[in-house]
Amino acid sequence: MSYPVDRRRFLRTVGAGAAALSGGAALASCGGSDEPSTTTLTWWDYFTLDNFQPGMTRLIKDIEAGVPDVRIERRTFPFAELERQITLGAISGDLPDIAIVDNVSMNTLGGSDLLADLTDRVEEWGQADQYYKGPWDGCQVDGRTLGIPNQSNCLALYYNTRMLQDAGVKPPTTWAELASTAERLTRGERYGLALSAIRTEEGVFQFLPFLWQAGGDLDTFATYGATALSFLDDLVAKGSLSEQCVGWTQQDVNTRFLNQRAAMQINGPWQIPTLKEADFDWAVVALPRDKEAATCLGGENWVLTASSKHLDKAWEVLEYTQRPSVLTPYLVSFGNLPARKDLADRGAWASDPALRLFLSQLPLARPRQYGPHYADASQAVAEAEQAVLTGTAAASAAARTAAGKIDKALGER
Amino acid sequence: MRGRQALALELRRRRGGRTPADPGPVRGPSAHRRRAGYLFCLPGLAFLALFLAYPLFYNVWTSVHDVRLSGLLGGAARFNGLDNYRVVLDDAAFWHSVRLSLLFTLGSLVCQFTLGFALALLFARPFPLNGLLRALLLVAWLLPPIVSGTLFRWLLDAESGAYNALLRAVGLDALDHDWLTDPSTSLAGVILANIWVGVPFNMLLLLVGLHTIDPELHEAAALDGANAWQRLRRITLPLMRPVCVTVLLLGLLYTFKVFDLIFVMTGGGPVDATRVLSLYVYEVFFRFFRFGEGAAAGLLLLVVPLLTGVFYVRRLRREDAVGGST
Repeated sequence: MSYPVDRRRFLRTVGAGAAALSGGAALASCGGSDEPSTTTLTWWDYFTLDNFQPGMTRLIKDIEAGVPDVRIERRTFPFAELERQITLGAISGDLPDIAIVDNVSMNTLGGSDLLADLTDRVEEWGQADQYYKGPWDGCQVDGRTLGIPNQSNCLALYYNTRMLQDAGVKPPTTWAELASTAERLTRGERYGLALSAIRTEEGVFQFLPFLWQAGGDLDTFATYGATALSFLDDLVAKGSLSEQCVGWTQQDVNTRFLNQRAAMQINGPWQIPTLKEADFDWAVVALPRDKEAATCLGGENWVLTASSKHLDKAWEVLEYTQRPSVLTPYLVSFGNLPARKDLADRGAWASDPALRLFLSQLPLARPRQYGPHYADASQAVAEAEQAVLTGTAAASAAARTAAGKIDKALGER
Repeated sequence: MRGRQALALELRRRRGGRTPADPGPVRGPSAHRRRAGYLFCLPGLAFLALFLAYPLFYNVWTSVHDVRLSGLLGGAARFNGLDNYRVVLDDAAFWHSVRLSLLFTLGSLVCQFTLGFALALLFARPFPLNGLLRALLLVAWLLPPIVSGTLFRWLLDAESGAYNALLRAVGLDALDHDWLTDPSTSLAGVILANIWVGVPFNMLLLLVGLHTIDPELHEAAALDGANAWQRLRRITLPLMRPVCVTVLLLGLLYTFKVFDLIFVMTGGGPVDATRVLSLYVYEVFFRFFRFGEGAAAGLLLLVVPLLTGVFYVRRLRREDAVGGST
């Protein structure tokens, strides 16, 4: 049995359907404007992993209950995607009101007029001195406050307690000790040390502490970069560090450590939850020092976008999240460290020895604050490290080449 | 002798490509029908305009403007003529990536094609499990590049990779090599993975081509005393020429723009050993956020596939014309 449908009737039906649809959409948008008292704020972050969701959901519920007439619409992106999405959003005009961005993104995003200037609001708020210097400095761009630290982390040295005991060595505190300890811990398939030298910001995050410990910085890379690079090159030459580290992410490094194929690793506090499930004992110490003690600051900042139509409300939300009663459970659920000094003896970090070690390092943690062309400099550093560790270039030559590129990148503003 | 004649005849027929279809009586389309025809073109045209022409022109526009992240919101970007192109063409890293792209494409194509042809010849003759094996081979082509890239990353891993473990197991420790970490071999490593991905595609198209060759030709040649090698040289290859050119051109188009596979396997490293043109463009865009230069480099990236594409389309048209006139 079939129903003959002539074309005209078909078209008419389709037309009516389309009209009904658009009418419905119009109605729906009317419904939204009926309640002007509720503000919907869009919110982007990169916390996509499952274990972050309960804490984030609770924080948002808490905000919606605590800040009057506000609703949060959250979207998550993979870690490497967020900065790109914000950039693309800037082109298409589709930006969130609130975003939680990696602290190194302040270089790229801060140089544009993308982020809202919070200087006056922060001044009025008067809590700037509650934050550690590194994280707070990382939010300042050209004398303006463009963000509030969300959580902070840094790098330290994890070690396998048994392996060090068996080898009769103590955890290293200086470069010389690091080299000798790593050498003594290397045997068979096991490397003394694991770190990430991958060709992305992750590898640079791990390399910069060596540069700073040598007493230099990006503007003196030709000299101190060479020192740091040749130190790492020696580790590879002696077999204490695998040449493969040029392909390892920090996650890969942690996996090596967990599989007991590395006796020590350089990594951050976000690995602690995974490491707690390991069936061996481990501990954390500060990164070994050379001329200086230094580590690199990680973590995120809260930012508001300049194009937001609800800046006041968004700031209200931001301020609310920074209340110790709200912030502490949120940070604890994430396994993060606070960027605020007044929380130092409140959360899980006050009792957990590993977290406490990381917290004690925060004052030494330096932000990567080099301006809008940092990405070029960072790439130069990564390529220099890769060239040296894979034996394609000598440390001094690689450092000189990189220094040229860095100066060119950071010189232009 | 008769065999040879039949062969020559068949060859002539084949050269023309397809046998001409019977055109039949064609009624001249009325104006009304022609209008309807244009109407039916509209969705296609709209699609092309929206998803092809617009981005392309936007890209061209971007490539002649100073578009950076800073200033994106600060109003219109400054027109800077060919400055972006000049910067890109002056960049040693750009030329390095062009070289890598060409090497990658050449290496992949030659091996993919040769292996694909060999496999096609193998699968062209019936043997038990032929269909199953052929289907299994196709898996390589069906896998998303992210998966095959990850697969090869692990296979070639120096410590836990199957490749090195195998070599060690059979006592060939000397050949044990860390393909992807060594800058001098990492390109070979990604080419290897790409060959694996591309062989089934080549094989499949070539196999279809082989099936169109009339088996009687081979029989006739065999009767005339031609050995296997002569039959391949004198019959298969000449008849396969149009198919081969098509496969190679399509392969060139696919290979030159490969991004995901390399991105997953090495991310362009170590140092810049596998940063082919597509990865270079990606970095300028999304790591350095220099959109103007990125767009310029992107358009330069289009040059090779575009030329290939034009060549390919012209060939197709010529073939059709020849086929129609026979």
